[in-house]
Amino acid sequence: MNKKAQMICLMGAVAMGILMTVGWWLLARFVPPPLPGASAADIALMFRENANGIRTGMVLMIAGAGCFMPFIAVISAQMKRMENGPPVLAYTQLLGGSMSVMIILVPILLWTTAAYRPERGDEIIRTLNDLAWFLVAMTYSPAIIQNLSIGMAILGDRNPKRIIPRWVAYMNFWLALLFLPAGLMTYFKTGPFAWNGLLAFWLPLVVFAIWFNIMIYMLYKAIKEQPDA
Amino acid sequence: MNDLIRHYTTGVWLLLAALTASLWWLGGGSATSGVYATVSLMVIAFFKVRLVGIHFMELRWAPLPLRLAFEAWTLVTCLLVLAVYWAGQT
Amino acid sequence: MQREPIETQDHGAASAGEKYRQSHTPGETGIWVFIMGDMMVFALFFLVFVFYRAENTALFQASQATLNTHYGTFNTLLLLTSSWFVVMATNGVRKNLRRQAATLYGLAFLCGAGFSLIKVVEYREKIQAGFGLTTNDFYMYYYIFTGLHFVHVIIGMAVLVALIHKSLSGLREPGDLALIEGGASYWHMVDVLWIILFPLLYLMK
Repeated sequence: MNKKAQMICLMGAVAMGILMTVGWWLLARFVPPPLPGASAADIALMFRENANGIRTGMVLMIAGAGCFMPFIAVISAQMKRMENGPPVLAYTQLLGGSMSVMIILVPILLWTTAAYRPERGDEIIRTLNDLAWFLVAMTYSPAIIQNLSIGMAILGDRNPKRIIPRWVAYMNFWLALLFLPAGLMTYFKTGPFAWNGLLAFWLPLVVFAIWFNIMIYMLYKAIKEQPDA
Repeated sequence: MNDLIRHYTTGVWLLLAALTASLWWLGGGSATSGVYATVSLMVIAFFKVRLVGIHFMELRWAPLPLRLAFEAWTLVTCLLVLAVYWAGQT
Repeated sequence: MQREPIETQDHGAASAGEKYRQSHTPGETGIWVFIMGDMMVFALFFLVFVFYRAENTALFQASQATLNTHYGTFNTLLLLTSSWFVVMATNGVRKNLRRQAATLYGLAFLCGAGFSLIKVVEYREKIQAGFGLTTNDFYMYYYIFTGLHFVHVIIGMAVLVALIHKSLSGLREPGDLALIEGGASYWHMVDVLWIILFPLLYLMK
């Protein structure tokens, strides 16, 4: 039974991936991101022209963010198996993951607010949009904490048969470093380190997608090979 | 300690230091034209990378795929940097 | 004939002298996912830099001229030397020369500390002269790329402290040598990244 529950939780990640892609990308059309340096009028126009697309996209994203939670729980459940004694790394990952859900949910509501009354002042819409992007793209520490704790747990695994291969730990460390440039977007409105830039947005996004898929596969294998207790 | 110093990698280190000095000279001097100086600078720098990888990181003893991955990184990055630089000159 | 304490858990069989006849992955395979991954990202950094430099060569050249090439050159030498110490130290660990290995890792650490000190002095000079992160594109890349590299150096110095500790206790468990070699390879990567950053930022014409 427990294995089945874990598999169902793992499927949450797949649901999240689909809901986010459809909501964020196809309906709200937030990928590629609106230009950080765009005028208030341009940003407001974007919300006015696609108000319903953004509203619907955000409804789907709320569902997607929810589906992220069971996936994070599965990661921690498997990490707990790797740890001897108090599962402090599993707890850390759980907290990092919860914060990640928060920093997805809050910007969704900011975008929703902006699209709710698109007739309001341009400057207010742009402020809401700025806030949303900073929350979702600049808040790098929860993700880094998640990656570091996952990596440390994998390296510390003393089970005779490893639960997740060690190279996945190093991949997590690598990802942690990649999220660092995101913290710099506060200084720039154009260029590779702005929130729509190659190094602050696209690179972390692509690498996150790779991480996400590898983690799903590795957890799937870990659950399948887990001895029935 | 002597045992450890009397190893061929000490020679590699001396070569690396000499190459660094040549970079310093090339980068500071105005004798050579800009484009050629830059190309030489980058080629020497990537050659230094290869020396570190093969001899210090001990990739010469590594399984072939790993060694090839490193060599490919060095060659491809060097060529791409030079190509982008060259394209910007014209 | 003195046998070297090289572990056979991977596939690096001990052999005469200091050479492995058979192939031997330095460190565990996993660390290379990190090293090659990180090097790919920095390769992207280099390309982004040359690309944007070409769009505004005059500005980049003028800003580059304000950098102190001597600092850059000296720091390159410091990292190269630290790498050489690490090579000797790792060979020392294999020969079970624990104290010497630890001393050499310590010297490598000092080189790293010297690098950091010069970097801080350099940043301070630049900021006092009025060149900040948002001054222009050149300085943006200068601060971010050297800053991210600096983060690598700091992590690397922590790794070196761990290596000092590990080398003093000698090789006890299978996997110890792989850990040491992995840490050493990481430090060499920090060196490799600076070898390219230096001519790119300070010297290119």
